[in-house]
Amino acid sequence: MTTSSRRVRPSGARAEDRAVERIVRRTFGTLTGRSGEPLLYAVMDDTPVGVLGLALGAAGLRRLTFVKDEDDFLARLLAELPDTPVLRSAKLDTVRRALDRYFAGRGFTFRTPVDLSEVTPFQRRVLHATAQVPAGKVSTYTAVATKAGRPHAARAAGNALHRNPVAIIVPCHRVLRGDGSLGGYGGGLKVKEWLLRLEGAIR
Amino acid sequence: MSARRPATEDRIALLLAKHGAELARHIRRIARDDHATEDLLQDTLLRTHGALGLLRQGSNVRAWLYRIATNAALNHVRGRARELAALRRYSREADGATSAADRMATDGDVRAALWARVATLPERQRVALTLRVADELDYAEIARRMGGTEAAARANVHQATNRLKRELR
Repeated sequence: MTTSSRRVRPSGARAEDRAVERIVRRTFGTLTGRSGEPLLYAVMDDTPVGVLGLALGAAGLRRLTFVKDEDDFLARLLAELPDTPVLRSAKLDTVRRALDRYFAGRGFTFRTPVDLSEVTPFQRRVLHATAQVPAGKVSTYTAVATKAGRPHAARAAGNALHRNPVAIIVPCHRVLRGDGSLGGYGGGLKVKEWLLRLEGAIR
Repeated sequence: MSARRPATEDRIALLLAKHGAELARHIRRIARDDHATEDLLQDTLLRTHGALGLLRQGSNVRAWLYRIATNAALNHVRGRARELAALRRYSREADGATSAADRMATDGDVRAALWARVATLPERQRVALTLRVADELDYAEIARRMGGTEAAARANVHQATNRLKRELR
């Protein structure tokens, strides 16, 4: 990410941002036929849990994903959302700062709304149940399945968590197997363990 | 129909997503016009995409995009400067005297004339100077965008300003 350009007129800068977004949006429509609401993205290169891809839509955060690199994240976004213009933006800086604070052990304080409109209703209920588990605590696949209204669907709940579009913020890392073993994690089990240790759920 | 969404569009979408905003900003600062910026951004992407096959593996696509965008924007400004000069000549011939509007236009004309000179500089000097003056970047960032060292970026800007001073004296 480039941040070294010096801003001379802060108020003019906002008008410039708006004009630039409009220009890129229209160019997307002309050259690629993507004419939907634009999705803004950013990549965090060096976090303690690797490279993270973030994407923000009009209704809230739509992605917080473990990715290989920027091109990998973009290729996935463009394939998953074929009608959407995607552009890099500094508007995700608030979320980035909240993540930096979290990784530094200064608390779980995410205020940006989350947009879960891409998953099924059951998966959404599982993710909502998961969001209720506080930092420092853990739950089980069976427990979140039960809260989502299907006590016998632990496996389906695991699936829903695997599809979690906003990792960390919807804390699927806090959901473990009934026997206390870690289960699975999109970012790898080492990351799951690191996050639980950061939150003080395990030593 | 799904075969009509070819890899070309995806590759352009990737370039646009990654670099569209910064390129639009860059072009707009030179061209100072939103419609022109949109056209120039499209040209830049299509031209770069056309050249992607020629670029060696690992070469800096971003620097290439910036170079093409800078040239396109400067050509646009140069074209506009020529139009302005012609217009001024014409209005003087028609009036036979300097009007107030003509005097007010002078300031903008000097700037246009300067940009027209910039357009005649050697490529690396021109790009470095534009990044320095229009985008107000530091030399480290200019070096990153153009490829090459910070010292080379500094030298290019230095040579460009010297040459402009000589020519405008």
